[in-house]
Amino acid sequence: MELDFSPLLDSWQYLLGGLGMTLLLSVLTAAGSLLLGTALGLGRVYGPAWLRIPIVFYIDTQRAIPVLVILVWFYFAVPILTGVSFHPFWAALMALTLHIAAYVAEIVRAGIESIRPGQIRAALALGMSRAQLVRKVVLPQAMVRMLPSFGSILSITIKDTAIAAVIAVPELMKRAETIAGQSYRPIEVFTTVMVIYFIILFPGSRLIDRLYKRIAHLGRS
Amino acid sequence: MNLDWNIVWIHRWDLAQGAGITVLLTVLTMLVAVPAGIVLALMRLSRSRILSTAALWFVEFFRNLPLILVVYWAFYVMPVFLHIEFSAFTTGLIALCLNVAAYNAETFRAGINSIRKGQMEAAIAVGMSRWQAMRKIVLPQAWRRVLPVLASTWVSLFKDTSLVSVIAVGELAHVALQIRSSSFRVLEMLTAMAVIYWLMGYPQAKLVDWIHKRFEVRE
Repeated sequence: MELDFSPLLDSWQYLLGGLGMTLLLSVLTAAGSLLLGTALGLGRVYGPAWLRIPIVFYIDTQRAIPVLVILVWFYFAVPILTGVSFHPFWAALMALTLHIAAYVAEIVRAGIESIRPGQIRAALALGMSRAQLVRKVVLPQAMVRMLPSFGSILSITIKDTAIAAVIAVPELMKRAETIAGQSYRPIEVFTTVMVIYFIILFPGSRLIDRLYKRIAHLGRS
Repeated sequence: MNLDWNIVWIHRWDLAQGAGITVLLTVLTMLVAVPAGIVLALMRLSRSRILSTAALWFVEFFRNLPLILVVYWAFYVMPVFLHIEFSAFTTGLIALCLNVAAYNAETFRAGINSIRKGQMEAAIAVGMSRWQAMRKIVLPQAWRRVLPVLASTWVSLFKDTSLVSVIAVGELAHVALQIRSSSFRVLEMLTAMAVIYWLMGYPQAKLVDWIHKRFEVRE
């Protein structure tokens, strides 16, 4: 078997652009789903009862449907329904954000619920208001405990952006497919891209682990 | 906008078959990936450096790659290296197994590590071998902590089977997308696909919540 990496060398700029797109989509998705997910999580724990039912339904629905299905639905079906069509990038950004926000919401809820009820009673006994005890007692500890899970959300986001290739977002995965198809060199192309993804994802997860070990004591109670 | 939902009914048996293959893929993958995960976790925790390093790299490698890329890689690259042609179904199954086995290995490792070291030492002190202690003391306790995580992995896996549609495995997503492109009833088919996944996935997600509550570790 002869390996020929020249198609990759010829189109490295094209591939690099794909990597940039992957990172941009990941960062925007992660930021959007952190905001939306935190709002959903807080709404679920502290919101009024009528708000909790639709939030729980939303979260569980996203947990039940594959992200591929959400992506395809957003890109192909939403334009038919609304008459507005999006560039694949925006469709992917919205679909991924809506999907991953549900996971963020679950993390936020689990983090908040992990704070022992005794602390909340103690805070109330000291005369704090509900808003105060959430802000000063619950969230500072819960946030530290959520950190490792947020790290994995970031890694999940980067991995899920690869699925956006199915709606032709020109990110790394899609561009790899294109080069592999044009050059008939799938072995070299997919193996190289595999290494690229690993190099991005692996240090990220390690870094979060390290960081967490440093600050884990802040979340202990 | 004129909608023709009849298209879903016409293709009901195709969709049912696709859903069946989705379930089959999920079950087969778990059947392979649970024992594989246990073996990898035990390798990782073994005293042999070679075994533990090999397991570490396997796990870290497949946990840090997008599954869809592993699917493509298994489809294009694996047959060349192994000189065997696999069917699309087998290829998809292999890709899913590699991914889930890596996740399961971490689950089992965390479960085993969550059992305090003193228990292992006590077992060795009363004359058990390391392997006996693992089998009789540690694993029976660890599985209670492992089960909820495995249940979550199950649901993720159920959803991830949709990714093997890119190599034309005839599971639910692929069947629905095929009907969409041949009939041009895009909205109907995509919505039907989402609803079928929802109908199958929602009860599973709820079951997972129940298992998590049931097996919650209270301190």
